[in-house]
Amino acid sequence: MKNCLFTLATLVLIGYSANAQEVEFEEYDLDNGMHVILHQDNTAPVVITSVMYHVGAKDENPERTGFAHFFEHLLFEGTKNIDRGEWFNIVSSNGGSNNANTTDDRTYYYEVFPSNAVELGLWMESERLMHPIINQIGVDTQNEVVKEEKRLRVDNQPYGNLLAEIKKNIFFKHPYRWATIGSMDHLDAATLDEFQAFNKKFYVPNNAVLVVAGDIDKGKVKKMIKDYFGPIPKGPEVTRNLEKDEPITSTLKATAYDPNIQIPAIIGAYRTPPQKSKDSYILNMISSYLSGGKSSVLYKKLVDEKKMALAVQAVNISQEDYGTYALFALPLGEVKLETLLSEMDEEVAKIQTELISERDYQKLQNQFENQFVNSNSSIEGIAGSLATYYMLYDDVNLINNEIDIYRSITREDIMATAKKYLNPNQRLELEYLPKKDDK
Amino acid sequence: MKTYISVFLMVCFMAFGAQAQIDRSQPPKPGPAPKIDLKSPQEFTLSNGMKIMVVENHKLPRVSFNLTIDNKPTLDGNKHGVSSLLAAMLGNGTKTISKDDFNEEVDFLGATINFGASGGYASSLTKYSNRILELMADAAMNPLLVEEEFQKEKDKLLDNLKSEEKSVDAAAARVGDALSYGTQHPYGEFTTEETVNNITYGDVYAFYQKQFNPNNAYLVVVGDVNYKEVKAQIEKQFGKWKKSVVVDVTVPASQPNAQYAQINFVDMPNAVQSNISLRHNVDLKMSNPDYHAVLIANKILGGGFSSYLNMNLREKHGYTYGARSGIDSDKYVGQFSASTAVRNMVTDSSVVNIMMEINRIKTEPVSAEDLRNAKAKYVGDFVLALESPQTIARYALNIKLNDLPKDFYSTYLQKINAVTAEDVQRVANAYFKTENSRIVVVGKGSEVVENLEKTGIPILYFDKYANKVDKPVFSKPLPEGLTAQKVIGDYMAAIGGKEKAETVKSVHTSANVTIEGVPIPLKADIKTMSPNMESMEMSAEGMGVLMKQKFDGTAGYAEQQGQRKDLTAEEVAESKLKRSIFPELHYDAANISLESMVDIEGSETYKLKVSENGKDSYRYYDAESGLLKRVEATEEAEGQSVMTVVTYGNYSDVNGLQFPYSQSIVAGPQVINLNITNIKINDGVTEADFK
Repeated sequence: MKNCLFTLATLVLIGYSANAQEVEFEEYDLDNGMHVILHQDNTAPVVITSVMYHVGAKDENPERTGFAHFFEHLLFEGTKNIDRGEWFNIVSSNGGSNNANTTDDRTYYYEVFPSNAVELGLWMESERLMHPIINQIGVDTQNEVVKEEKRLRVDNQPYGNLLAEIKKNIFFKHPYRWATIGSMDHLDAATLDEFQAFNKKFYVPNNAVLVVAGDIDKGKVKKMIKDYFGPIPKGPEVTRNLEKDEPITSTLKATAYDPNIQIPAIIGAYRTPPQKSKDSYILNMISSYLSGGKSSVLYKKLVDEKKMALAVQAVNISQEDYGTYALFALPLGEVKLETLLSEMDEEVAKIQTELISERDYQKLQNQFENQFVNSNSSIEGIAGSLATYYMLYDDVNLINNEIDIYRSITREDIMATAKKYLNPNQRLELEYLPKKDDK
Repeated sequence: MKTYISVFLMVCFMAFGAQAQIDRSQPPKPGPAPKIDLKSPQEFTLSNGMKIMVVENHKLPRVSFNLTIDNKPTLDGNKHGVSSLLAAMLGNGTKTISKDDFNEEVDFLGATINFGASGGYASSLTKYSNRILELMADAAMNPLLVEEEFQKEKDKLLDNLKSEEKSVDAAAARVGDALSYGTQHPYGEFTTEETVNNITYGDVYAFYQKQFNPNNAYLVVVGDVNYKEVKAQIEKQFGKWKKSVVVDVTVPASQPNAQYAQINFVDMPNAVQSNISLRHNVDLKMSNPDYHAVLIANKILGGGFSSYLNMNLREKHGYTYGARSGIDSDKYVGQFSASTAVRNMVTDSSVVNIMMEINRIKTEPVSAEDLRNAKAKYVGDFVLALESPQTIARYALNIKLNDLPKDFYSTYLQKINAVTAEDVQRVANAYFKTENSRIVVVGKGSEVVENLEKTGIPILYFDKYANKVDKPVFSKPLPEGLTAQKVIGDYMAAIGGKEKAETVKSVHTSANVTIEGVPIPLKADIKTMSPNMESMEMSAEGMGVLMKQKFDGTAGYAEQQGQRKDLTAEEVAESKLKRSIFPELHYDAANISLESMVDIEGSETYKLKVSENGKDSYRYYDAESGLLKRVEATEEAEGQSVMTVVTYGNYSDVNGLQFPYSQSIVAGPQVINLNITNIKINDGVTEADFK
């Protein structure tokens, strides 16, 4: 009898912990086409209000690159009811924090507040969308700030231009070919009218998703959302017709120079399928296999055993329209860049010709399960995932079942995908070198 | 009629509807403050002295273990770096598990194990937590410390030191700590190639023996655990850890603060920004009754975006991306610091403004709004932090490590809210000691020291390892055989050739102008005509011409907001002698001399002195491109002499000649930026334009 009870208790416990991970959410559309996702979790008195807009660097005019990111700055300048310079004061004087970020695919804004200020967060985000002030003063100010940001984050950073160099050399037609931060000359040349037109085209409720997550009362919050966002008029539908790139069929070679580095880098970069595809998930797994952790294939061989590399990494930069898969290594001492690349190739070739071991396969499954659990550990993280899954994956349920995709991947899938995409004739070989004074 | 009524009703209804709508002109007021529920962890102590705190949280199926060994800081002397080496070697195997097997198993479980020199951290999914705890305990008590790994880590550490050699930030941190704590204090000593080379494998092993024991150890467990079960596991794994003999060490006293405010300058010729940090030591333990008031005072001074320092240095002056202050409460010795990184040219002004803002909080009562906002931000941060179960654990650990009263965190917000404007001013005077601070500036001496000297604050010089040195010589030797004429010749060649330059009779420049602190976008229309005619008109959109300056070769005037002032006879005489287009074409060899080689914004330039009409000015030509980079002249204005510095950039081609498309003019406190939009040569300018 005692034993039976014990088993029952364990069962209940298992049921409980399985449920504990489920992120419950509710989603609906406002009349103006704005999508809304609510997630209620009353365990801590914290709330996040966030809006993701489906506009990124890829939506820019090729002669005006950097617009999307510039806009992210501009939309903190003030609104009809929030005076210039007041945005940050309102947030911090109510005990909150806020930020925003821009990628090639989308732009994301959010505030985190103690939960009694949820209405304030909604008011601020609706102000930003409804009637931001876009004037010459704001444009001029943010022009300087963005330039400082570029100096700090890109031009003064060792390896800061690496990604831009990769993109430039593997995309030729698709707008992923330019850097998200864009060109300062383009921003200098832009007129106020152009900024206003950009706002009108992309900052419309039907191109956005609002997420409210945390310690909320759903009924009250729904009413507030209707009050604050309901009156914002719907805009014309945003359509995209981005040019596609032809597949790479013979090896591309490029060289770039960086004045901030002393150690060169070698990169092998492949153009891969969009992030929604199963192949993209498989490539994430291949990255972990190659360079995730001290026991990974490349780290163990090149850094630890052979002492040929100071650092080595395989990354899958997955995006909405394409992915970029990159092998990256910094040589130690006199090791030649081509030697490093061929050492890495040797390991990729093994994945293409032999199944990875059962134990390595199980290791990958464990690592992805761990990642999955941790990805839902904060309200901020959950809100970001909900918005992303809705906007870029068309499936909010992925927040709870993305792990099933990884579970469905077999060792054979890994071999097939490596064979399909990671061949030397499908890639760019980039030598990223220290810039000497005389160059 | 009926229709009318219904329309009327409709209107009423709509009006009513509109009224019922929210008022969006004001920020919505927050609801009642959320209730804060501060839980306490469950605790127990092992017989070897190790204390354990457990925070059960079942939201996610994961567990973390955090080990802190609270030993007193020790002096490593000429073997500094021994703790970094130990940290790198720990967590890579145990006496019974090889390094490869250990790392493979941790990765296999999808888990993390890291060690530092005084603790470690491990985390995993619940289902693997027992094994991870076992591995962590084994790695802490029976680490695999072998000679081969020691050598590997030593080489890596030496490589890292090399890669940091040119880092301004690394030098600033090192010198700052060394000077303020003193190199005979654990917080002030630092690692060099020499100290690393002194370390032997035996030193690392001995350091481990001394540091890693359970006497002062705390293990914090957070996550999906059952208290009883995890307690049993911990007793099993850590219970066998042997207590060591307690050797009581005394922490040496830190160096006393400076007797007078001083700049401690470190020259790094590769710096593109100056790293400034004003600092001095303070005695501020967390248990000090002033603690909460000091936190608020620091928040207002430099604890965030809207603080005095950031508003001044970033928002008002645009010197930097950010300026902050911090106060570090430490149970041995704390520190106050105010720091920023600024472009070379404004280093001296930044120092002056930092001092000014600190003096402001000491002398002026803080406004009710600033005080309220600072408190609100503290309260908010406190509430937001509660989302993470780690917070509860951190608070409990802090209480133990710092001997705080049990209610320290439950009364925290109450104490923050009780801070008054008088408290802020009082503690600012007691804890922000500008008069005893060292202002550590690491930057490019050749560009910043001359102006730093003008601040009147005494400057002491140090090398990047905090050794006192004599004032270095900053300018560089000139290349052999170079003359002033050659520099001018190179300049003429670089802009497109002397012949071509001589064909220019008039230049018409249009520019967008920004003046720091003036929020109105301005436009300038500048015309010049040989030999000496000049005209400038400044206008703002919708406001017309705001300012005019004209000289037609015989007379001139300045007009501002309807007020006209004619040039004096003396000014006319001077203007007549000026050459408005390419003055280099007209220099008399006897009046120019080559002074020195100077770095400006990262490029080498030749400094030329031009003496004309009894006045000296300085012109800087880029050594590489030959182009004019900067002009410095001193002008008399209203009885005061003001130095004007014009920096040129963005050279571009206009009809085969190079013209600078950006000009930045710094005149005294004013900074004016010209962004040139169009230049026309010999096109449309007539003598009438100068009347």
